[in-house]
Amino acid sequence: MEEILFGIGISALAGALATVAGAAEDTESDIGSQGDPNSQVQLAPQMGYIHRIYNKAVSGEPPAYGLWVALAAGIAWALMAIQYNAILALIIGSAVAVFVQGVYATTAYLGRTASLAKFEQPVYIDILKSVTTVTMAHAFVAVFTTVTMCFLIIEALGHPFPLPLMGIVWGIALGAAGSATGNPFYGKERQYQKYAFGAGLPISASGDIVRYAEAGQRSSLDNGWFTSKGAGPASGICFGLIVFFELWRTILFEPFAAGWGAVIAGAVIIIVFMVIDRFVETWARKTYGPYTTETEEEATA
Amino acid sequence: MSALGGGSAGGEGINPTASVIALVIVLVSVGIIYALYPAALIPLIGVIIGGVLISFGVHFVPVGGAPAAMGQAPGIATGVAMLAAGGGLAGLFGGAWAAELGIWVALGAGAMGGGLLMAITCLMVNVVYVYAMGIPAASGKIDKDPITGDTFPAYKSQGTEGHGLPFISYVGGVLGGIFGGMGGTLIYLELLSVYEEALPSFLGMTPEGMTTLAVSLAGIFAVGMFLVAAVLTAYNITGTIEGPHDPKFKRWPRAVIGSSAACAACGLVAILLVVI
Repeated sequence: MEEILFGIGISALAGALATVAGAAEDTESDIGSQGDPNSQVQLAPQMGYIHRIYNKAVSGEPPAYGLWVALAAGIAWALMAIQYNAILALIIGSAVAVFVQGVYATTAYLGRTASLAKFEQPVYIDILKSVTTVTMAHAFVAVFTTVTMCFLIIEALGHPFPLPLMGIVWGIALGAAGSATGNPFYGKERQYQKYAFGAGLPISASGDIVRYAEAGQRSSLDNGWFTSKGAGPASGICFGLIVFFELWRTILFEPFAAGWGAVIAGAVIIIVFMVIDRFVETWARKTYGPYTTETEEEATA
Repeated sequence: MSALGGGSAGGEGINPTASVIALVIVLVSVGIIYALYPAALIPLIGVIIGGVLISFGVHFVPVGGAPAAMGQAPGIATGVAMLAAGGGLAGLFGGAWAAELGIWVALGAGAMGGGLLMAITCLMVNVVYVYAMGIPAASGKIDKDPITGDTFPAYKSQGTEGHGLPFISYVGGVLGGIFGGMGGTLIYLELLSVYEEALPSFLGMTPEGMTTLAVSLAGIFAVGMFLVAAVLTAYNITGTIEGPHDPKFKRWPRAVIGSSAACAACGLVAILLVVI
């Protein structure tokens, strides 16, 4: 009984760390414009809209976070192997990984923006100086919490994977959850605020991103301020729920039916989420209503 | 042709020459293992089946890429390979944890791990679309949801190809996670069985000392082969896909044939690493 309680406590702690990781990851990605909406930042100067938005998207978020978390985990693992204190090892590993992230961010911003020189998009040195450090700070929070979570899963819950491999697995999962959940909010709600709320963005408006803030030109720091209120927490909840339920169902139900208990619990949780999704979908249809009259479908039905 | 890149047409058929070449690669890989280390024959076939499961599963995952992030197309706003890899690796995590309980429990745990990641991610995608952006789900590829019967054209914003995640896409995402998690776990378990058997005699150490090395090698190869199968499938899909109702879904046989050849070659290397 005590063992199960301990396991559930660790699951909750890992879930909490994952929630912080998801929120920091998405905010970092939105400040650095690394997620999928970056194509609009890249496109804007070609459409005649010069801007001060950072753009460091060279690979997708999941492989990038897979690399950074695995790097932090690998260094921490190596330090622990030579008897370093675990917490110190995790901090040093994360710091080195974030240094790599900073180098990546700098070269990616310079390279991406320089490629737009023929469209007269300048490289802003003040943006490079101010934004890079802020993305690095957010990346540190995301990487450190994820590596700590991986360490807890291995040391306290006894997962067989070594720390670096666990880092790859959860780094990629963190990037996948963050980019899937947070990107639409940054892409549509932030970059296209002048277009109607409550509608998709017309394809013809691509590249026409909002470039001005309340006072002067908008920079990527404004984007972090905005998305940390919606997309960040949503990504955090998403990743936190994934980690928590993944651990919780195994800890609590694996002793039943020779291991099948955890599988059945997983299926039940999936069905519960499916029902909630259906509720959200029908609520949206009822509340927002059709954009046009439904005569077309009635005629064809 | 869609304005968002990538054809909206269905499958382009099977290329007979390429398929025969793929089959030859599979047979040659199996033949080499049979000649060199017959005990690894079943595991290699397991690895190939795992690759096929991953490749088939990726076709179910609704991916809208950058257009989805702007509410211009339905699906999840990230890349095919990345999302499928996220789901599949979460499955691998669960499957590896349950490995000691037998192959069937481990496969079930892996499948549910992948399905759970996709179920939560898909729900949060819809929550953001509905409550943070005020947009209902609508597909541009079909007029009616095959599962719920919801009509879409009236709910689609002007100038877009749809947005959000309709229920059929949600179900597709969960199925994709289940197939991916099961496939990744199968590759891991089969490679682990080969390594646990071959490594002690190969390196002359005790089986206990070999466990960490066997788990690490099997895990790294499983992650690698997962990405091989998922990226190869992403090329087959080209751009966006909405799920099982999308005409592009019919292209799956080509990716499955390609992935079986790629995983046979990768599996051969992974096994030869310890038996030569």
